[in-house]
Amino acid sequence: MKKQINTNEISRKDALKKIGNYGKYAALTALGTYLILNPKNAQAQSPEAPGTGF
Amino acid sequence: MEDKSLVWFENRNEYLVLENTTADILKRLSKGVSVHNIAGALSKKLDVPLEKTIDFILDLEHNFFNKEKPNHNKLINDYRDVEYPKKFEFIKYYQINNKIVKVSYLSEKELSFVHPKFNHLSIENTVSFDYQFDVFINTNYIFLYVDNDFIGAWSNKEIHYFQGKFSMQLIQKIHQKEEDKWMGVFHASAVSNEKKSILFLGDSGNGKSTSLALLQANGFTCLADDFVPIDLEKQEVYSFPAAISIKKSSLETLLPIYPELQTTAEYNFTRLNKIVRYLEPNNNNFFAHKPCNELIFIKYEKDSELICKKISKVDAFQELIPDSWLSPLKENAEVFLNWFASLTCYKLTYSVNSEMIATVNKIFNNEL
Repeated sequence: MKKQINTNEISRKDALKKIGNYGKYAALTALGTYLILNPKNAQAQSPEAPGTGF
Repeated sequence: MEDKSLVWFENRNEYLVLENTTADILKRLSKGVSVHNIAGALSKKLDVPLEKTIDFILDLEHNFFNKEKPNHNKLINDYRDVEYPKKFEFIKYYQINNKIVKVSYLSEKELSFVHPKFNHLSIENTVSFDYQFDVFINTNYIFLYVDNDFIGAWSNKEIHYFQGKFSMQLIQKIHQKEEDKWMGVFHASAVSNEKKSILFLGDSGNGKSTSLALLQANGFTCLADDFVPIDLEKQEVYSFPAAISIKKSSLETLLPIYPELQTTAEYNFTRLNKIVRYLEPNNNNFFAHKPCNELIFIKYEKDSELICKKISKVDAFQELIPDSWLSPLKENAEVFLNWFASLTCYKLTYSVNSEMIATVNKIFNNEL
């Protein structure tokens, strides 16, 4: 079977151009994209306790 | 940092990576500027309708300022009814610098959770000691008392937190710094030369401890393995005297350098399907502490050529935070963020040990 090659790949810049006036909403969406990182609540060693617990 | 803002929330000890504009909006919200004002400015800036930016900012406000402190529904237990054991089966004395720590273990079980890592510090019975740690299991919880004060109790699923707290108590005693004087504890290996230290990070199995063992056989000092404390005052890596854990898969590499691994006790961790041996650190000054300006994310990969490159600090931040204990105090969090901003982060992939050692040498000497 012939492999289908997707030739529709476009850059972000082109994509923004394509959606025209809606591009500005992409900027708003980007502002709402963030990452939440939580450190450990307590000091820990690597989990490698011997045996099967207690 | 790198076009992003890092923001810390005190009430949840939470770190955020976000766009600079978003950080700016949060800052204004926290100062009490009205949603309408901020939304108006944003609407003009992005040329989107006001109601969209109002929605957006209300959403941010809801997510970050109205969020309750996470409630873990933890049962509060004061352990008043816990019976203190009358007799401990194992008593061990560990000498660390000029201090002697007496640790009493109720049975072999408790002993197995702690002793293998510190066996190399054991001394024969002595009459005097400086600190007393008591460890015992009672009704499915493992208890830790230090100098007769209750420190904590952990279930059998939280053994690594028990071990972490044990280690934390130990460094507080060794270095005479209470918990609030530490910036954080990192899941890493720390290597030093005369002047400074470098932290090695990476997921379990990536070769942190093996690299550390190789480096300590090649002129470097092992400051800490698995549990790397950094102080608040100068942000220096402090020595932690536990032994280096060596997995069976690293034995072939390390046996020619450390023949003693052949005969040292093997600890079988059946639950994790893992066998670990411990290698004594070559550090003999457990007072040591060194500044740290570099992080290396290390990875041993069979047949890989040596690749060492600087990596994005935002990426490094994302890997570092979830694996670390960071002090929840405001001053400490600020010190941490400033310290992190001053670092250089590398990713080092290798398969030939000598190339890895040579590269680390270069990083130590600022020749890279």
